[in-house]
Amino acid sequence: MTEKPIEEERLQAIIEEMWPRLKRKHLFPEIPVPKVGKVTDLSIEEDGKDDSTERRVGLEMKEKQMTINPSFLSSLKGKMTEEGLIEALLDHGITHYTFCPWDFQTHLMLYAEAKKVMGDKESAKQATNYFIDVIADTHCVKKRATEIPELHRNLKKGNVEEVIASLYQRIWGIDLGIPSSNKEGKDHSEIVRRLARIPYLDRSRWSESIRKFTRSLKPLLLLAQQEQEARGGKGDSNPQGEHDMNHYSYEEIDEGLREYAQKTMGLSEFREVVEDFSTELKELGYGIEGGMGRGRGAHIDADILFYMKLAEHYSIPVKRLPLEKTGALHPHSHTPWEVGLPYQDIDLWTSLGKIMPGITQTWKKKEGKGRGKIEGTPDCLIIIDSSGSMINPRKNLSYAVLGAACATNAYLRNNSKVAVYNFSDAPMGGRDILDYTENREEIYRALCKYFGGGTALDLEDILPLIKNKKDLDLFVITDMKITNLETLIGFFGKIQNRITAVHIGENPYASRFEKAVEKRKNINIFTVKKKEDIPHIVLGSIREYFNPVNRGH
Amino acid sequence: MKNTGLKKEISTSPPQKPSDALNPFEEFRSFRFRKEEIPLDRIVQSAELVMDQIRLGYERLLEEEAKELVWMVQYNTIIKAYEVAEKYIKEIDYSAEDIEDFCFALENTQKIPYLIPGPAGIYISALCNYAKEEEIVLKLSELKTEINLVGFRLPKGKRLMVEGDTGDFTGIGLEGGEMVIEGNAKNWTGAGMRSGKILVKKNIGLHTGEWMMGGEIYVGGRVRGLGNIVEGKVYEREKLVYPGKARNPNIYY
Repeated sequence: MTEKPIEEERLQAIIEEMWPRLKRKHLFPEIPVPKVGKVTDLSIEEDGKDDSTERRVGLEMKEKQMTINPSFLSSLKGKMTEEGLIEALLDHGITHYTFCPWDFQTHLMLYAEAKKVMGDKESAKQATNYFIDVIADTHCVKKRATEIPELHRNLKKGNVEEVIASLYQRIWGIDLGIPSSNKEGKDHSEIVRRLARIPYLDRSRWSESIRKFTRSLKPLLLLAQQEQEARGGKGDSNPQGEHDMNHYSYEEIDEGLREYAQKTMGLSEFREVVEDFSTELKELGYGIEGGMGRGRGAHIDADILFYMKLAEHYSIPVKRLPLEKTGALHPHSHTPWEVGLPYQDIDLWTSLGKIMPGITQTWKKKEGKGRGKIEGTPDCLIIIDSSGSMINPRKNLSYAVLGAACATNAYLRNNSKVAVYNFSDAPMGGRDILDYTENREEIYRALCKYFGGGTALDLEDILPLIKNKKDLDLFVITDMKITNLETLIGFFGKIQNRITAVHIGENPYASRFEKAVEKRKNINIFTVKKKEDIPHIVLGSIREYFNPVNRGH
Repeated sequence: MKNTGLKKEISTSPPQKPSDALNPFEEFRSFRFRKEEIPLDRIVQSAELVMDQIRLGYERLLEEEAKELVWMVQYNTIIKAYEVAEKYIKEIDYSAEDIEDFCFALENTQKIPYLIPGPAGIYISALCNYAKEEEIVLKLSELKTEINLVGFRLPKGKRLMVEGDTGDFTGIGLEGGEMVIEGNAKNWTGAGMRSGKILVKKNIGLHTGEWMMGGEIYVGGRVRGLGNIVEGKVYEREKLVYPGKARNPNIYY
């Protein structure tokens, strides 16, 4: 009973002894001391029995915690020294954090490129894993003293692994004992020749390189997939550890999605990747906070997630207005500061003078007792046109929705509420109304709704949203081809709220609107000739709008 | 091949003086970076060098033959462009993989400024014809552009396999070589071919085998239209369609 823990303790002691040297070798990465313990091995779990003595998972990486599988170590006993084996596994694991894939965005990018070639989710994931491993191991062999080649010499290999090992022989110049033709007498030298030409260590060319890598390996991957299906879906484990979402923390995934949305700027590409990883994202409970889905098992709306992540790139300050409140706000408690939160609320004393997410603390304010005028941000009503002349936000990137999303974020960040009036032919029922809320997901869902068809506002719908709201901002995004434009102009002429109106392109309706409201100081209009300008001009103009010089009241 | 066990040791640093502790990078003081070369560096470097030469040859071809970035497909322009391409290619030592890389580089505007399908196809054909290998496999299925004129004058003893689709004028003037196209081929395939074999696994366009003087064209899918064939054979799904009474030249099927 006590034998196993003693063995694990002994291995743990070896790791702890070598860890300072390993950290030093890899230039001190911020990684906790690896552990020895049980790891998840799907190939064993699926059929309950363990017949793959040398194809076990040797290393598991969850977030930044590496765990060494003692069973894997014992399976290679006599072939390699325990220390050498542990060092090789850890060298490999550390390099994933320090070189490839480095972050979740890179992982997603590599996967998306591999999928373009394979067309299938599972084989694309496989190709990505092989590519990531080749880069990590090659980087290690080139830059560090490592036992990785010795590990590869002793690992049991399938068809693909044998080709990869031949590749290593060629590009590392180290004999790994791989013959030129495999057990079935097949000569893969042509594939190896193609693979050897890829500049694995050139990060700037990884997207091009993985396509070439996958293209060359495709016939073998398809064959491996067929064999796996014939075995009832049971695949071999990767002894050097699987590459899945477990590698990354929630924050890393969040940032990765944000960066990927910004980099691709393509809704369909983003949607495809998110849908492919939806199981893993749901497993992680992704988006419970901030409202993507409703916990485990909930459907992930990739389109909404795309606009959420993209909008997070644009942070706009909102100039506060004197608002009547029952009491002034006073600092009540601390909360961690995140990028995008206002700087003015940062508590420098508890933040040790540093502006850094995770360290910096910001004051959470609460309303006290009393009555008077204090500076604050009003709520906002977003009026968005989703008629046929506007882009369908679920098919293509809609700059109108993105602009509205950025405005939403700006108000929500300042603890204000946002309501949405999404309309096409409102009198005929083509509209969606969302009452004032702080729920980001609900707001985005309302913004992303697309009706198509005609464009007509119904003031009867808007008036209840404005009524009883003394301080309220209005944000209108439309192409101005509104059939009852005169009604809208008349309505805007009567109210004193701050209004930001954005319209796309030049058209007679827009000119008419501009002329009609040009003397109104509380209305700012932005004409955009290129749709791509919308997010910038909207954001810039909001800043300009809130500038006291331009303020209407 | 060298064996493992090569150690790039990081030397152990001597005990630090108290004053050194102020340096936040003290730990790195003893780290000596050694530039280690592995064969990959050499392979990649030489592939880059060859690609530069191939690219330069293509750019020169464009300078000479497509000055205004306009190129008309005519008998004499094809012959002339091929001669120019030959001139530059003969000086380069390349492999079949370099040809494939060049095909993908053509789509990357950062590397090659202009993709003019005619001269590009002629240049690729010349590369295939002068390659050392007898069998050339071009994996072009992810290429967004279909390359025209692939297989021009493919000589006897050469086998060119294209994974993906090809454009117009595939395998024109074939001179005894064998072409296999895994996807579709467009119009004028095998025009003016003298001998050899073209196998298109999917469909083929109009004017197939126009003025062909000999050889065979096999089509796994549908032949959209035959050209004015002088001599030779055309098969559609293993059935001989030329010579035969079933089909008239240039008729849409």
